[in-house]
Order: sequence, then C-alpha cells, then structure tokens
Amino acid sequence: MVAIEVPDVDYTDYTNRQLAAVPLAFLVLALAIIGGWFVVTGAPANLGLEFTGGVELRIADDGDNVEQQIQTAFDREPDSTRAIPGDDVVVVTFQAVEDDPDGLANDLQDQADAAGLTTTAVDQVSPSFASDTARTALFGVALAFLGMSVLVFALFRTFVPSIAVVASAFSDLVIPIAAMNLLGIQMTLGTIAALLMIIGYSVDSDILLNDSVLRRTGAFYESVSRAMRTGVTMTLTSIAAMIVMAVVASLFGIGLLRDIGIILSVGLCADLMNTYLMNVSLLRWHKFEGVAR
Amino acid sequence: MLEPIKENWRILLLVVVVLGATVALFAPGFGPEPAPGEDVSEAREGITNLQYGLDLAGGTRIRAPLSGYTATDVEFGGDSPTTVAETVAAELDNASARNVGAVPGESAVEVTEASVSEDQFRRAMDASGYAYGDVRPGVTQETRDETMNVIQGKINEAGLSGGSVQQVQSITGEYFILVEVPGEGRQDVVDLLEERGTVRIDIAYADGNRTAVDEGVLVQENFDEIGTATQSDQGTGSYVPVTVRNTDEDGQSPAYSFQDAVVQRGFPDSYNTRADQCEYANGSLSGERNPCLLLVVNDEVVNSFGMDSGLADSMGDGSWAETGRFRLTTGEFSEAQTISLNLRAGALPADLDISGEGTSSSISASQGENFRTYSLVIGLLSVLAVAGMVFLRYREPRVALPMIVTALAEVYALLGFAALLGYPLELAVIAGFIAVVGTGVDDLVIIADQVMSEGDVSSRTVFDSRFRQAFWVIGAAAATTVIAMSPLMVLSLGDLSGFAIFTILGVLIGVLVTRPAYGDILRRLLTVR
Repeated sequence: MVAIEVPDVDYTDYTNRQLAAVPLAFLVLALAIIGGWFVVTGAPANLGLEFTGGVELRIADDGDNVEQQIQTAFDREPDSTRAIPGDDVVVVTFQAVEDDPDGLANDLQDQADAAGLTTTAVDQVSPSFASDTARTALFGVALAFLGMSVLVFALFRTFVPSIAVVASAFSDLVIPIAAMNLLGIQMTLGTIAALLMIIGYSVDSDILLNDSVLRRTGAFYESVSRAMRTGVTMTLTSIAAMIVMAVVASLFGIGLLRDIGIILSVGLCADLMNTYLMNVSLLRWHKFEGVAR
Repeated sequence: MLEPIKENWRILLLVVVVLGATVALFAPGFGPEPAPGEDVSEAREGITNLQYGLDLAGGTRIRAPLSGYTATDVEFGGDSPTTVAETVAAELDNASARNVGAVPGESAVEVTEASVSEDQFRRAMDASGYAYGDVRPGVTQETRDETMNVIQGKINEAGLSGGSVQQVQSITGEYFILVEVPGEGRQDVVDLLEERGTVRIDIAYADGNRTAVDEGVLVQENFDEIGTATQSDQGTGSYVPVTVRNTDEDGQSPAYSFQDAVVQRGFPDSYNTRADQCEYANGSLSGERNPCLLLVVNDEVVNSFGMDSGLADSMGDGSWAETGRFRLTTGEFSEAQTISLNLRAGALPADLDISGEGTSSSISASQGENFRTYSLVIGLLSVLAVAGMVFLRYREPRVALPMIVTALAEVYALLGFAALLGYPLELAVIAGFIAVVGTGVDDLVIIADQVMSEGDVSSRTVFDSRFRQAFWVIGAAAATTVIAMSPLMVLSLGDLSGFAIFTILGVLIGVLVTRPAYGDILRRLLTVR
C-alpha cells in the first residue's frame, strides 16, 4: 500500500529571500493577470450571469443534434453553449442587452418551444440587479477578510506572525481568481462562497504553524516540521475531496459544485506554497532576526 | 456506576445528538407542514423528513422589487390621506388617484404607476404644495405587505402547495419581493402574478316574481380609487371605501349613471332603516326582495350588498354623484379584504418589476430530481476521497476509522438539524455539507497528530494536555471560519446564505460535540491497552 509521507524539507539550505521569492512571484503574477484583465475587459474576472445580467436556459438533449438546432432556434446569437454529457442537457447563455431586457426570458423560452426544444430550467437576472449583487458580494468578501484579520491579530498579538497569516490568506484569494481568469471560469455566487471558504481553510494551516512555532517548546525547525506533517495532511485531504467534487460535479453538469471544487483546489494548492514558503520565511526572520533587533 | 458516564460524557453527547438527528429525520411529526388537502405522508418527499429547495425539487423563484416611488416625511397639514392622494394625482398626467397612495402612518406618499418617472413624481410633489423630505425608489411598507397578501392569495387560490412569498432587503436598503413556487414553470408563475380578472358590479332587483339583473352598472374602469379593507368605527362590520369616477369625455359620468341606475331600481325606497337588508342567494332575491348590489368576479357572483339608508337617500336626491364615494360593507374583516382584493381584480397594488430589476430562475421537476441523486453521489464520493487519504496517511484503522465515522456523524447531525428547522436543502447547502466534512476531518487530523506526537500515549494526563493544546488550534480555526462565513449569512445573496448557515452550524457542532468525542474515542483506543 502506498503511504503518504510528508517530506522533511531542509529549510537551512535556503535563505529567507529565496524562500519568499517563489510565492511572491506567484502573487505578483496573479495580480498582474487580474490587473490586465481589468484593463482589457473592464472587470477583474469573467463575471457570470449573476453579476452581469442575462438569461440562461437548460435545454434537454434528446440525442437529436440539439446543439445544431440551438444555433437556428433563437433570434439572438447565444453568448455561450455548453453541453453537459452526464445530464443530457445543453446550457445556453445569453448576456443581457440594454435595449430589450423586457421579457427576454419569455421570448427565448417561446423560441425554444417553437423549435421543439424542451427547456428544463430558466435563469434570468436583470443587469441592474446584477450590479447590486456584485457590490454586495464584494462587500461580503471584504468584510469576511477584515473580520478574519482582526481575529488573527487578536489571537497572536504579535505583528509579524499575524501579518504573515493575513498576507498568505490574501495571496490564497488572489491566486485562484487569476487561475479562474486563465481557465475561463466565471465569477458567480458559488465561486464567491468558495473564496470565503478559502479564507477559512487557509487560515487553519497558518494558525497551526504559528501555534507550533510561537506557543510550543522546541527548536524552530523541529516545530516547523511538526506543524508541516499535520498541515500538509490536512490540506491534501481537503484537496482530494475538492478535486473529486469538481470532477464528479462537472460530469453531472452541476456548475455551482464544480466551481466551488475547482476554486478550492487551486486555493488550497496556493495555500501549501504560501504557508510553507512565505510564512515559514517570515516566521524565521521574526524568530532569529526580528526579535533580536 | 456514574463513573463510566462521567468519563465518557463526550461520546455519550455525540450518541445523543445522533439519536436526536435520527428522530428529526425519520419520526413522523417533524415532517413538512402539509398543504391544505394534502395528508402528512404526501407532504414528505421520500423516506426522510428532509425538505428540498427549488434546486433539488424543481420549481420557480422570482425576486423583484415593486415599481414605484415614495416621497418620505410628507407633511399632510391636516388633510385626509384621500385628499392628499387626489391632489398629487391631479399633478400627474399618466396616473390617477388609483395609482397614488398616501400613508399617514409612514408620513409617505407613493406612486405605483410604472410609467411615472422619479422626475415627474418630484415635480408633482412640488406642485402639490405638500412639504416632503426626499423621494426614494420603491413603495411603502403598507403597499409591500398588501402586495404580499395578494400574491399569497393568488398562490393559495391556484392551489399551489408549498408556494411562499416574502420580503427581503438588499444591502442598499432596497426591498424585494421573493416568490417561490415549487413544481411550476417560470411562465406559469409570471402569468399567475400578472393575471387580472374582470370585476363588475351588477344590480339584482325584483321583477314581479322573478329576479332580474342589470349587468355591469359599474365596471373596473369606473373606479377612481379602491381603498384597503377597514374596520368599521362603530359596530362590528368592515368596509372597503371606493370612489366612482365623476368625469367623462362623452356624456354622463359613471358616477351619475350608477346613481341613476340605483334610483331606478328603487334603492332609496327599499332601504330606510338598519333592518332593511339585502337577501340574495343562488341567483334570486328572498325575504323583502330588496334590490341588491352584486360583486361579480370573472362572471361569478362572489358577494351581495345592501345599501345604507343615508347613502340611498343621497343618491335619491342626486347629490351623491358629486363625490362618488361609498363603502362596500361586509360583516367580516376578511371578507372586506377579499372584496378589496377582488375589486382590484387580483391586480397587485404595485407591479413587480421582473424584467427591469428582478431575477427569476426555474428548474423542472425532473431536473431537480436528477440534481438530488447527483449531489448524493458527489457527497458520498467526496467522503470516500477523504477516507482514502486518511487511510493512506495513518495506515492504522484504529485512528482512521473513528475519524471517518465521526466526520459522517457530523454530516448526519447537520441533516437532522435541517429536518428539524424545516430548512429546504439546496445545492448550496450540499456544498456546505461537503465543506464541513473537509474542515471536520482537518481538525480530527490535528487532534490525532497532536496526541500521537512525541511517542506513545500511555497516561491520561499526557493525553489530556496534548488534547487541550490541539483544541486551541481547532478553536481558533473554527472562529475564523465562522467569522469569514457570517457576512454571507446576513447579506441578501440568495442561495449563499444557506451555504453559510450550514457551514457555520457544521463548524459549531464539530467544535462542541464531535471533535471532543473523537478525542475521547482516541483516548480509549490509545491509552487502554
């Protein structure tokens, strides 16, 4: 039987700068991608239906070349058409247009019916409601992040270890957003939930590391490797669950669960890197140089 | 005797919680409230008491604001609400007194005609001469409540079990009406909400031995204003105040026509004292055979009224039509409400702005059923993945097996909570469950590693001190998760509040019940040799 052995990393081989360079490079790259996205598209990510407004239809795929029918069935060109093999449906998305939001969903459903297509679900979001939702979601994430930061500072009461946790959580949020842009995943309410979950998950391993180094007896490297054995196991178990959820949900065409799975997998991978490269280097600096000063 | 209980109380607590969850899930009596005409077993979906949301059962959800504008902090200056509403309406070209409401309780004046812009309404308010604070989009609380009543009435009338309507407030303070109807398509629900019946008032009178009817002496368009059902000042009765229009482009106004018809059918002669009543049933008059006003909705007589003697007299001398006001009186308040509702012809007091600012989503029943199966499969596979990882890491069933059993107990307890609260399961809640398994196992890993670090655990004291250390980390991690999720619980972000509620609940059950119990289990397995 294969066993998972958490490798012992010999941190003494690397300087703090070397350790922090990799996660910082990733963070900068991710910020550049998001910034570039903002410049080119006017939004930091691919906003989904809930944030832009529009209509999404699920059309039953009865094996009769439905995708071809969809091309001709509607007056308007669909913005995207996505077949979901596990569930025998095709998801057709129309972005909202300013000139005729009125009754768009009804029109589209009528057109689908007229073309002999069976609509199994309709989602309609108006543009102004969507921008309201986007504001609320942004506010929610900001509030969650702020609350987490305050709590972390209250728990450790020292600046460097606390800011290490907050910085790593920030990077854990930014990297998945950049990854979403590159993978073409849209920002939806589900992904917002996933981002908030990342705040919760990522802080777990950071707290474990800080606790081990600052509150327990033992040499620095011993404490780090102890925390790492537990922390890496935790994160890997979660990643396994999330990857399975993402794969199965995308087979079945349940977008919400798929998106949450993908984002959490990426975020947790980023967390492994940030915790055991960036945080360790910050803590080492704090322990050996920051305090001595 | 008590010693084993004291020593294992954490495990016992977990057992109690699991048993409680079993009761909530399977025992009859915790199931969903059956709709009228449905027995308890029909209301249950499947073998458990769990309820499923639209995602997993199929149905339609519509969320939209009511169109209109409200002027706040209006100084009525002693004028009656009706006068205020009429004055403001007179300044608006595209709205009548029907579309303008004055609510003294909220010091507010509102316009509910969708075609009136904010600018037009401001100008009308300025021109009317009443001082006001500001104009905001949306309608008054009273109108929102009444709209909800109308929608609920429509849902009940259509026999749609499980349909619900509620008000939600967004972060910007805007109010939305949220309508959820399981098992119905989007189009059907929109039609139901927008449908208007026809309403008219007939006069039934004695024609020899027969009962004759003048049809349509008043029709819907003839009303200028239809008030809300009101409790009578004196006596037990209730009434709906209405105003009949006294303007007309060609010839006689509806108020005068109605007055003439009433006089012609002999109301002033028949109604002289309180004892004179209208007695009308099944298409014919009985008793004194006094003429009656009939309220006809969609060609069906829903109510009959007599007339107050004072009112009948003022019609007789021809003075009534100047004001055109009268009250449709009834015995019961609820009856007055129904009449007010019917007179508005089932039209909502303010329109739902579905296409402008609303959202709607609809899922067919078969799709919902598929989602239910799929999410069960996804949940089971995720748990299996976690179990696999745990076995690979520890290779010791003594540690790993209780870990997985505890994590499953946590999800089971959560399902019990969902059944107990009657909280409908949705995809977002399922995602929350999976997240709970993830965090739950994480914490169990922390406990196991901590306890087994630095060699074998031989004594209880060693175990306890290590367990306490592990618990500090778990508590801190749980607190951050709760804090990170709590904004979602209160912000109006649709599905996501369910996700947040169950993640937080799961974390709490985990920290308070299942994780301490796992500690106890582990202690027994590791220290008792």
